[in-house]
Amino acid sequence: MISLRGVSLVYPNGVRAIDGIDLQIGKGDFVFLVGHSGTGKSSLLRLLYREMTPTAGEITVDGIRVDRLKRGRIPALRRHLGVVFQDYKLLTDKTVWENVAYALQVTGAHTKDVMRQVPRCLDMVGLSHKSRMYPGELSGGEQQRAAIARALVNNPKILLCDEPTGNLDPQNTTEIMELLGRINLKGTTVVVATHNQAVVDRMRRRVVRLENGRISTDEERGYYFLGLGQDQILSG
Amino acid sequence: MDWGKTKFFLGEVFRNFTRNASMQATAIGTVAVTIVLLGSFLYVRASIAHIGSDMLSQITASVYMSTDATPAQVEAVRTALAKNPRISTAQFVSKAQGLKELRERMKGQIDMQILTENPLPDMFRVHARNPQDVPIIAHAIAKLKGVHEVDYQQDVVARLLQVAEVARKAGVAVIALFVLVAGIIISNTIRLTVFARRREISIMQLVGATNMYIRMPFICEGLLDGILGAFVAIGLLAIAHGTLVPKLTSALPWVQMNVVQVDLSSLVLQLLAVGGAVGVIASWISVGRYLRT
Repeated sequence: MISLRGVSLVYPNGVRAIDGIDLQIGKGDFVFLVGHSGTGKSSLLRLLYREMTPTAGEITVDGIRVDRLKRGRIPALRRHLGVVFQDYKLLTDKTVWENVAYALQVTGAHTKDVMRQVPRCLDMVGLSHKSRMYPGELSGGEQQRAAIARALVNNPKILLCDEPTGNLDPQNTTEIMELLGRINLKGTTVVVATHNQAVVDRMRRRVVRLENGRISTDEERGYYFLGLGQDQILSG
Repeated sequence: MDWGKTKFFLGEVFRNFTRNASMQATAIGTVAVTIVLLGSFLYVRASIAHIGSDMLSQITASVYMSTDATPAQVEAVRTALAKNPRISTAQFVSKAQGLKELRERMKGQIDMQILTENPLPDMFRVHARNPQDVPIIAHAIAKLKGVHEVDYQQDVVARLLQVAEVARKAGVAVIALFVLVAGIIISNTIRLTVFARRREISIMQLVGATNMYIRMPFICEGLLDGILGAFVAIGLLAIAHGTLVPKLTSALPWVQMNVVQVDLSSLVLQLLAVGGAVGVIASWISVGRYLRT
């Protein structure tokens, strides 16, 4: 579903954000990207949804060669992807319903589809009862769920999350991660960049660890720290 | 047609337009002022052009035959004049008739009794279809046999044509300047609204809206700015036209403010078109600059 070969990204100021990464993510996978701030987690995600173009290497997302993608084809790629951010990126002057519908409407979707998809997504994230509220009237967890509903409304095969729980308390963090787990169960490929140790250690999913723009380890059922669960750190 | 889609789109345009109402008002006002200047300029230019072409159209070429020209030569010139496509009318004035006209014109000024014989040659009074062609016509006729001289107030024609040319060039420059100014104003306004909505734009790009889709509301905004500005300007111009022109014509009767001659409806259309086009182009450019980053 996602494939990177020899991908590098050098910023104009000379900083090497990504340094020769090879990575394969299969259909329906759930992958954590972990590492310190500034190790390239966000840069890697930005390359996937073509916010940035790699300096070198090949990137394929859902059969699309992202590194060679023409500017005019970017919207088509984005419609195959859902992206979720730490700061939700909701429009504050639109209601939850309007925010979710917006993602469909700007792609020129028919009203019929909007009326069908929006309730489905709001229901999935458990926000149906707050669809008329504005983001400012919601808790952080609820705002993030609205953002996830918006990311899902196009029926993407891939969901990219950049620190989705960065602004949330443990309770909401747990709920959001459970929601992402459910979405993954329905067949959506989920990639989560995080430095929330508890989240990673509880889920026991594939963990790709980045260091200085390179993949240092890639474990099938990993922990946040290399080879160690939280309990082992505490007891050891 | 999906009514829901249309409603959503129009709603977006309306929301953006009213959200920055004060900014839009500023843009419309400044565009209006620019278009008032442009409109008055176009009006004055049209009037001047009209006066100029009036003067030019009164210019005739006088074709004087030699005094010893044969009737056959006179006849040949007459056919040549009639055949020339650039000539609208060619009036033959015989020696005798010329003298008669001269006597009438000079009545009471000079004692015409001193003329013992008719010194005047036969002549043709020639009107050109297009005043600019007078020199060409004169040149061609002067070559014909039996023609002594062609007089067409050479220096006046040259001067008028020169003035018309300068006025035309200066006019193009001034119009370009006005349009540029209006464009910059609208472009800046749109850039501000684009900047105010950059978050929204980045979200639109994120969820896969095409650039064209993102652009449309701003283009509509620019179009509205331009056309509303033009409407305000046309209103102001209409008031000015209604009050100023009658006063001017009564104060300066010799200025031929020939109101009827300036095509007002086409002027109105021109100003609207300029306003709209400038709005669309300016907003296209300022959004485009943002979308490319």
